[in-house]
Amino acid sequence: MLDLLDAELLGIITLTLRMTLMSTTISAILGIPLGLWLDRADFTGKRLVVAINRTLMASPPVVVGLVVYLMLMRNGPFGFMGLLFTFEAMVLAQVLLITPIICGIVYTASARNSERIHLFAQTMGANRWQTKILLIRELSNELYFAIVTGFGRAMSEVGAIMIVGGNIRHHTRTMTTSISLLRNRGEIDQAIFLGILLMLIAFAVQLLISLIRRKERRTDENF
Amino acid sequence: MKISKLKKTLGAFSLEIEHLSLTPGKIYGIIGPNGSGKTTLMKLMAGLLPPDSGSIDWPGLTPRDITMVFKKPYLIHDTVLRNLTYPLTLRGLPPDPATVDHYLTLADLQKYRNAYAPGLSSGEQQKLSLIRAMIFSPKLTFIDETFSNLDMESAARFERLILDRQQKDPATYVICAHQLSHIHRLCDEVLFLSNGRIEAQGTTEDILLHPEHPLLQQYLQFVQMQ
Amino acid sequence: MKRNTFALFAVLALALMLLLSGCGGQPAATPTPAPPTPAPVETPAPDPTPEPAPQTGMITLATTTSTEDSGLLDFILPDFTAQTGWDIRVISVGTGAALQLGRDGEADVLLVHARTEEDRFVAEGYAERRHDVMYNDFVIVGPSDGPIAHNLDIEEAFAAILEQNLPFVSRGDNSGTHIRELQIWEHLGLTPEDNTRYIEVGQGMGATLGMTVELDAFTLSDRATWLAYPNVGNLIIVSEGSPLLLNPYGVMVVATTEHPIGAQAFIDWITSPSTQALIAEFGVEQFGQPLFFPEA
Repeated sequence: MLDLLDAELLGIITLTLRMTLMSTTISAILGIPLGLWLDRADFTGKRLVVAINRTLMASPPVVVGLVVYLMLMRNGPFGFMGLLFTFEAMVLAQVLLITPIICGIVYTASARNSERIHLFAQTMGANRWQTKILLIRELSNELYFAIVTGFGRAMSEVGAIMIVGGNIRHHTRTMTTSISLLRNRGEIDQAIFLGILLMLIAFAVQLLISLIRRKERRTDENF
Repeated sequence: MKISKLKKTLGAFSLEIEHLSLTPGKIYGIIGPNGSGKTTLMKLMAGLLPPDSGSIDWPGLTPRDITMVFKKPYLIHDTVLRNLTYPLTLRGLPPDPATVDHYLTLADLQKYRNAYAPGLSSGEQQKLSLIRAMIFSPKLTFIDETFSNLDMESAARFERLILDRQQKDPATYVICAHQLSHIHRLCDEVLFLSNGRIEAQGTTEDILLHPEHPLLQQYLQFVQMQ
Repeated sequence: MKRNTFALFAVLALALMLLLSGCGGQPAATPTPAPPTPAPVETPAPDPTPEPAPQTGMITLATTTSTEDSGLLDFILPDFTAQTGWDIRVISVGTGAALQLGRDGEADVLLVHARTEEDRFVAEGYAERRHDVMYNDFVIVGPSDGPIAHNLDIEEAFAAILEQNLPFVSRGDNSGTHIRELQIWEHLGLTPEDNTRYIEVGQGMGATLGMTVELDAFTLSDRATWLAYPNVGNLIIVSEGSPLLLNPYGVMVVATTEHPIGAQAFIDWITSPSTQALIAEFGVEQFGQPLFFPEA
């Protein structure tokens, strides 16, 4: 079982973390402003947009993978970029999968609180930017939750990256696609070992984030 | 300060103010039964709610000169101290420690200065939101029901503070309260609001002690019985 | 704090274990109510198993992706149920995984194609014996405008791929095809990893062919999946016909089966002349050639 704990496994873990961090970061950069904007914006068809967002939050990874595959395949519209079966393709698929989730959670949190926060900011005489900063600070718990949810989804997802990444050894093989492969090979022991490892890594990442956050709050109180 | 032909409809309720003018430096009271539109009128006047039609004109005042203390105060997810100094921070003003201490003592919050503000009791939250609205000396302050929920001693202290400040540096206040004693002690003039209309308006004496309008008489009887 | 963290880790790992063992521990074939014996079908059943099965139920067949992906099973299995009254469910995975399902007692019969692995399976006592069923062959496919776009001997083809550093997609999933590919490299004394464009994708034959099309690469495929794959794009066969490429399929009853009668009925049925004829017939209409050749 332990023969997997080698350079190859380390490569797989690094790739998984790199991919997950990158897709979560891009999705947060896109999804948070989008969610905040969606809450404040007023236009016809907004309810439809929200309903579409809700649907995309539950979009099956396999379908997202297929769509990205069709876009990136050689005869597809973006085939000339040669991105299929690359790290970038996996990040792209994950961004499409996770951005709606982050956007949706942020939208819901904002819809629940932003009206009060905006009124309050106005009574305090905050300008536009000060209001935005206040809103983000006041919603920071919800934003954190959105990012963590997106991160978890990115880390555990297998359907989309299997299709667009191709599970190529030393290249696009991640922890989840490895688990899927080990299962196909009938090597259940190693699949479980990798599964536990994946969960422990996810747990360690959560622990790290909550430690950082606690430190942040403590410095707040030392005013 | 003038309001004319103001109209606002919220669902089944509609507020219509033909004409209203306020004199700077005076304290106004708004009374009226629940659902008469007190909060809506205050929000409209404070610029927190856009009117359907009509105009509100505060010559010489910018939004930064106007504040409102809500029935349910909003406290930022931070310490009491940071909440109190927040309006100063927004204006880039360094908080004066003596002033900060003065207000914290006034609100009995000295010992909680570094506590998490949303964790305070509701009375403490209201006192904090009051001192937070006063610390930056706005020219026009709306106070929605906040006094009614304070204990007698705190309410009296805040009343005294407002009256003292009026002596030195007069500002305009619009206060709504169910307890007429606060209105009586604080206000120069009172509006009686019923069903979205101003039914009576006059000096505090006239409105509270010599009411002429039948709805007002009815309302005052009702409130005094309680 | 440190203690708590450790405890949390332990609980997490334990919970995971329990969850997994809970899933794995379920009986292989949950006793399913016997399906209604099928009404007499148009096939009059003049075959060597005329006596009605005394008992019916559901058996589980673990097989390779090629038999399922090529459509063979859909073509022949209805006849099995019609003939014997036994229902059958198919788990199609790589040969390695199929054999593992057999070892774990999750399957009653196996239809796989990796001769050495099958022999080992019998030697380890997981099955009493292996029966020949059918064979087809493997082909090397590659781009029609590539440097080896003509029918080459297998040895030359593999050597060219290695020497010219041509892209090659390996199944890499321990399947019968993957095992065969590795055997060929080994037999030729070549190390595929010397080729920097040799990639292992760890996916089924269909997905691997798809990736080969996209990457304009070479791969080893069984002929059945190759013929049945709808979108081969630019690919053609660049090597075929070597004895090294023969692909025999074997069938085995798993020793621990809970349905020995049904499992044996499957063996008897698939090796019977009528089923063998059915296998030979499969694909002729659609592809102009059979995909599998009877060998029982």
